Amino acid sequence: MKKKIFILILFVGVIIGLIISYISYETITRTGTAKFCVICHEMAPMRASFDQDVHGGTGKTGIRANCVDCHLPHNNLMNYIFTKAKNGSIEVGAHFFGDVDTFDWQNHREGRAKFVFDDGCKKCHTNYTTNEKFSAKARQMHQHYNALIGTDKELGCASCHAEVGHHGLNNMLNIYKPEHPLYEKGSEKEKLKINEKLYGKGSIN
Amino acid sequence: MILFFYTLTMKLNYIFKKGGMKVRILFSLLGIFIFSLVSLGAANKISTALVNESTVVPITHELREKYPIKPHHAKLSLDCIHCHDGQGKDPEKFEAIGDEGCLACHGSKQKVALRTGFMDSFHTNPHNSFHDGLAYHCDDCHQVHQPSKNSCLECHEKELPNWMKKVTP
Ligand code: HEC
Ligand code: HEC
Ligand code: HEC
Ligand code: HEC
Ligand code: HEC
Ligand code: HEC
Ligand code: HEC
Repeated sequence: MKKKIFILILFVGVIIGLIISYISYETITRTGTAKFCVICHEMAPMRASFDQDVHGGTGKTGIRANCVDCHLPHNNLMNYIFTKAKNGSIEVGAHFFGDVDTFDWQNHREGRAKFVFDDGCKKCHTNYTTNEKFSAKARQMHQHYNALIGTDKELGCASCHAEVGHHGLNNMLNIYKPEHPLYEKGSEKEKLKINEKLYGKGSIN
Repeated sequence: MILFFYTLTMKLNYIFKKGGMKVRILFSLLGIFIFSLVSLGAANKISTALVNESTVVPITHELREKYPIKPHHAKLSLDCIHCHDGQGKDPEKFEAIGDEGCLACHGSKQKVALRTGFMDSFHTNPHNSFHDGLAYHCDDCHQVHQPSKNSCLECHEKELPNWMKKVTP
């Protein structure tokens, strides 16, 4: 009798464990796709520029990275979940407390090495130091990068590779929120066109 | 010399025969250890040689103050040699690096023009302008050791602040 109860508890425990792992697996992977990340419209310029980039699948081989490949650390699961929760709550906070329109994305780019995580890049670009196909300058720069790892001058891949993952980010941001007066003319029309592509016809905003 | 090695191997042979398995394993371990030490040393020497070769140009503190670089390059800890490579060993004799110098890192004129491509609809893109398209040189506007001066300003002083950044990076 005791043995049977024990087996039952074990069985139920395993099932519950499996369900929980499945749910967390699903939330973690689903909330990591490009589709999920642009539900919030403030991501429109980032998504539109991503769609034009080799990392968004425009390359010859059609390989496509997910937002989380570059924007979350992969060295450690807890770090991954924690950063994700933190970023997510900041974005949700920004969405509901209304400082989205005043948020300065252009200025935010200055800190890009902090919100782009190199271990993601290195997972795909495994031989970024020795690749003979890179130019001599690229190899010199990558040696410079390696030499500074662990010092207080440490760089990120994104320190040098501006707009990687988001081809034409500067242009998109300037369509959504022109920095110079001349370009206010016509930017509304451009914006509508891009939004239609991202969210379908008849979408507002 | 040859004699020395000969007696050494003979002696070793004798020890091996006498000591049996254990000694033999011990000796091979020792051999492997020494071999790895030697190759480690060699590898170290090679890598320091490589590093030394590219950093022999001595840069004093005064030189750095005399030739300061702008924040966007400074925060990458770029050194003189990253821009002035292949220009000899006397920093005082370094020269301008030309378009190719900039483009070794910045890719191509097309790539740079795309970064400000949103200006194209008004033909005001400084990297792909109304007058000369891609023909302008980087140093017509960007300076590294002095404040930059935008060459469009000469004729478009009034409009320019509406077109692009007032201070050229
Ligand atoms: C290949 C790696 C990569 C992928 C994939 C990627 N990004 Fe980025 N992302 C970057 C880099 C690098 C920057 C910094 C670009 C810059 O400022 O020049 C950035 C910047 C951003 C920014 C900040 C923009 C600003 O103005 O500060 C947001 C938001 C963003 N990405 C969202 C996304 C979303 C959403 C996705 C998925 C659709 C995505 N990213 C996919 C690399 C990537
Ligand atoms: C999912 C894998 C993947 C990830 C993650 C990834 N890349 Fe890439 N990257 C690629 C592929 C595939 C290409 C296209 C290679 C080709 O066409 O030869 C590419 C191309 C590039 C290029 C050259 C193309 C260009 O834009 O001019 C650069 C530079 C680059 N990646 C940097 C990065 C950096 C920096 C990161 C991290 C922020 C990163 N990559 C993350 C797969 C990835
Ligand atoms: C100190 C600046 C710097 C850093 C940091 C840096 N790179 Fe680069 N990288 C360059 C330069 C400069 C080139 C050559 C650009 C060109 O030829 O257009 C280059 C070229 C590349 C290329 C080849 C692009 C092509 O089209 O040939 C890839 C891929 C790449 N880098 C990936 C990375 C990854 C991944 C990291 C982070 C581990 C990284 N880089 C960090 C400066 C840097
Ligand atoms: C980002 C690239 C870059 C870096 C880093 C750099 N230079 Fe220069 N250097 C240039 C360019 C471009 C010129 C041409 C004049 C100008 O743009 O200011 C130049 C010109 C010079 C000249 C000639 C000055 C003249 O009046 O013609 C000297 C000397 C010089 N640099 C020394 C140095 C020293 C020393 C360092 C390091 C402390 C250094 N440079 C770092 C790009 C660079
Ligand atoms: C050793 C590599 C290297 C060389 C040589 C170099 N740059 Fe850069 N430069 C960079 C990197 C990396 C960045 C930061 C990423 C970016 O914005 O492309 C940068 C940034 C810039 C920016 C600022 C971009 C911004 O966001 O405001 C300007 C302007 C610029 N460089 C102009 C030049 C000019 C002009 C030359 C030639 C005199 C030059 N660079 C030579 C690597 C280099
Ligand atoms: C006619 C003047 C002019 C010439 C020539 C010029 N630039 Fe620029 N450049 C500018 C101005 C102005 C900006 C700032 C644009 C803005 O308002 O954002 C700029 C911005 C840049 C940026 C930053 C772009 C970004 O994403 O914000 C880079 C990198 C750059 N220039 C590199 C170069 C290189 C390399 C060359 C030579 C091939 C060059 N420039 C030639 C005037 C010029
Ligand atoms: C030597 C003087 C001179 C310089 C330097 C110059 N321009 Fe012009 N630009 C003119 C004149 C004169 C006109 C009007 C005549 C015409 O239409 O050809 C003009 C017309 C234009 C126009 C179209 C007319 C308008 O006002 O809408 C644009 C756009 C323009 N210039 C952009 C630039 C840019 C960008 C630069 C810097 C790369 C530049 N110009 C440098 C003299 C100059």
